[in-house]
Amino acid sequence: MPVRIAAWRSNLQAEWVPPNAIVAAFSPASYIGAASAPSFSSECGMNVTLVRPLQLLSGLLLAVLPTSPVAAQAPDDGVLMSRRALNLGVVYAHESWSEYWEGTLKRSNDNIGTMTTQSVGVVGHYGVTDRLTLVGMLPYVWTEASQGTLHGLSGVQDLSVAAKYQVLTTPFTGSGTLSAIIVGAAGVPVSDYTPDFLPLSIGLGSRRASARMTLRFQSHGDWFLDGTAARTWRNHVKLDRVAYYTDGELYLGDRVAMPGLFDWKVSTGFRKHRFYVPVSIVQQRTLGGGDIRRQDMPFVSNRMNFTKAEAMVMYGLSVPTDLALQLGASRTLSGRNVGEATMITFGAFHTFRF
Amino acid sequence: MRLLTSRLTLPAVIACGSLFLASGCDNSIHPTEVLPPLEASSLDAGAGSWRMILLTGPTQFVVAPPAAVSSAAYQAELNAIKTAQGQLTSGQRAAIAYWSGGGVLRWNQIMRALVAKYNLPPAPASNGSYPVPDAENPFGDPAFPFANPAYAARAYSYVSAAQADALKSAWYWKYQHNRPSPANVDNGVSALMPVSDLPAYPSEDAVLSGVAVDMLKVLFPAALEEITLKAAEQRNAALWSGKASASDIAAGLALGKSVATVFLARASTDGLRTAGGSPALWQSLADAAIARGETPWVSQETPARPPMLPNFGLVRTWMMTPAEVVAERPAPPPPTGSPQMAAELEEVRKTVDNLTREQLAIALRWNDGAGTYTPPGHWNDIAAEYVRDAKLSEVRSARAFALLNMTMHDAAVGCWETKFFYFNPRPSQLDPRIKTPIGLPNFPSYSSGHSTFSSAAVTVLSYLFPEATTTLTALRDEAAISRLYGGIHYRSDIDGGKLHGSNIGGYTVRFAQQDLADQ
Repeated sequence: MPVRIAAWRSNLQAEWVPPNAIVAAFSPASYIGAASAPSFSSECGMNVTLVRPLQLLSGLLLAVLPTSPVAAQAPDDGVLMSRRALNLGVVYAHESWSEYWEGTLKRSNDNIGTMTTQSVGVVGHYGVTDRLTLVGMLPYVWTEASQGTLHGLSGVQDLSVAAKYQVLTTPFTGSGTLSAIIVGAAGVPVSDYTPDFLPLSIGLGSRRASARMTLRFQSHGDWFLDGTAARTWRNHVKLDRVAYYTDGELYLGDRVAMPGLFDWKVSTGFRKHRFYVPVSIVQQRTLGGGDIRRQDMPFVSNRMNFTKAEAMVMYGLSVPTDLALQLGASRTLSGRNVGEATMITFGAFHTFRF
Repeated sequence: MRLLTSRLTLPAVIACGSLFLASGCDNSIHPTEVLPPLEASSLDAGAGSWRMILLTGPTQFVVAPPAAVSSAAYQAELNAIKTAQGQLTSGQRAAIAYWSGGGVLRWNQIMRALVAKYNLPPAPASNGSYPVPDAENPFGDPAFPFANPAYAARAYSYVSAAQADALKSAWYWKYQHNRPSPANVDNGVSALMPVSDLPAYPSEDAVLSGVAVDMLKVLFPAALEEITLKAAEQRNAALWSGKASASDIAAGLALGKSVATVFLARASTDGLRTAGGSPALWQSLADAAIARGETPWVSQETPARPPMLPNFGLVRTWMMTPAEVVAERPAPPPPTGSPQMAAELEEVRKTVDNLTREQLAIALRWNDGAGTYTPPGHWNDIAAEYVRDAKLSEVRSARAFALLNMTMHDAAVGCWETKFFYFNPRPSQLDPRIKTPIGLPNFPSYSSGHSTFSSAAVTVLSYLFPEATTTLTALRDEAAISRLYGGIHYRSDIDGGKLHGSNIGGYTVRFAQQDLADQ
């Protein structure tokens, strides 16, 4: 059975067999990102936040895996897998920062130097139908500070899953097609890593769920415009200690309430021949949480906000036809309790059809 | 376009399932411990004769006789309580519930929060220097104080000791004057928190509030507003609950403030003000280590940070003379160039590079670093559970925290004296390959502060709660070994600290054995 791309098939089919795979890959990723985008956004945020030296890595990793390359497309974009098509990919991400926002104060920290978070994640997208795509992602993350004495951490981080469903697609203004996609997503830590050593922790350790809505306009030409927004709810996290101080209060217990997240993203770009090239602006707002205090370490429930610019290039190889490569980059433009991170991602994806 | 509702099922299931995951537990997380209303297992009617710490005796400050319960003035006070009880707001009821858990326990919690709030080291200036927290500018950057473990140990001890002496004196006057609580005098006054047969004049709640405000506003001047509000709330709760009248409270407040002056006078001359030393002193410590043929400690922070309170070892203790502080100093650590030190260094490196999750959890559980209530605060946290469960009277609770915190202050003095006498380098200084899974304290290694604090604390707590000795000793050992898991201490630091802490704790136990509280 030929590959089909549900939403844009008519527009894309000529050039999209490889990109489709790519898109699918991305979309799951982005999807994850979307669903968990908050989460890993937050993680990124977290990474950034880590006051001392460490933090950005985990955030970066998280962000990298789901967000930047894949995420850009998947959840937020209008891309879906064709029915019974499976796309599997591997994404490497490298995020680093040497300055961060301690609350709203931008600073460097010679006891961290450059904080680097790297990750390798496996990503899968499966088209249950032409309208419904399932996405899964699981990264391995490792962190390192270039200066100071703090020990890096590593481990398998969070499993993210999402279901992406196209609720409508319709001709629009005579110049293209408008489609709407809703996404339900969830993330859960799969290893017992600590979220209590930011910025060197590999993640925030919180179970989370998010609801996302994405609108896509695909022109009859090559370009597209996506807009997406999501609300994420996060479960409390459990620390190894029995008391912690955050946001002006001493808490006598090991559970930390995690504020929710809101994120939005606008992407535009083109898909032509074997290329898919989106550029995006993304923003995350944490709906609560305290600032990093002066000269304090970051904390898991900090108010981690950021605005990032992202760009990506996906290219479908002609041989083998179902292999796609992706190169992505992002840069944090402004933030609060996060690092001023630069992230590079590289991914490879293969599509199988049944 | 069409909407396929049936196709929405899967995303809906995932989203709902995710929400279930996210909300599967009770997400309401409250800052403070819930304390049951305190119904003391004993009134401790004889506490007025317990041995004082600083006061010359229970009558050093005289509490004049109160008006008779039949007097018009007192009846007016009762009417005021009835009026207040008739129009209590939910906030006022919440204040009563909060303070019914016990004033000593609540102030201990409040102190721990203050320490955590102010336990942040100064940030370096742009020229690489570190500004010194200034008591005359407590709201600045850096804020005053930097409530590091040594500062915190001293602060906990002053407030706890002052509360204990003030309550002993209050107990003396309560049984001298024997005026019951309003709820026991007049059936028209409701008892909204447990009201016992303990005489109400002077009010123990007001005594505690007076001590706390006057001590804490010196120790944490930038927190004056929140401290003052808490203290006023405690006095109001005592009144609204029918536990104390206005004159009970006025007498208690005056007594508490008077006792605080004695402790503040001592604090002003106990040596803390010069504990920071000077660049010349810091250099002399390094020179002395070099003269002994040792590698001196060097700050591992960038820019290099001055050592934390190098003269804290000269601060006055509660139970030891300066000569005893020196005499109790542990024997020297292995020489930095010795095979034993090399072996211990290797043990640290292998430990942190092969750390198990459980070991990391232990390191984090006992980290008690910047931004926390410090190791002495951690032991107050632990002790609070025993005090609560034992339903100790306010005066006996205060005695327990005073004994605990005095020995931890003495442990801080002894440990700092040891650290700056030997000026021994941290593992990550001798082997830069060693990276730490917790923050690295900015002062010399030998001996371990955690081990000293914990051992002194457990020596005293085991005297107070002997049935808990096994549990407490296990906690002490975990706290001590956590520093090896954290990569910041050698094993000999830990062993030396534990022995040192036990010896220091012995001084306080001997005081406790003779203070007449256990006769």
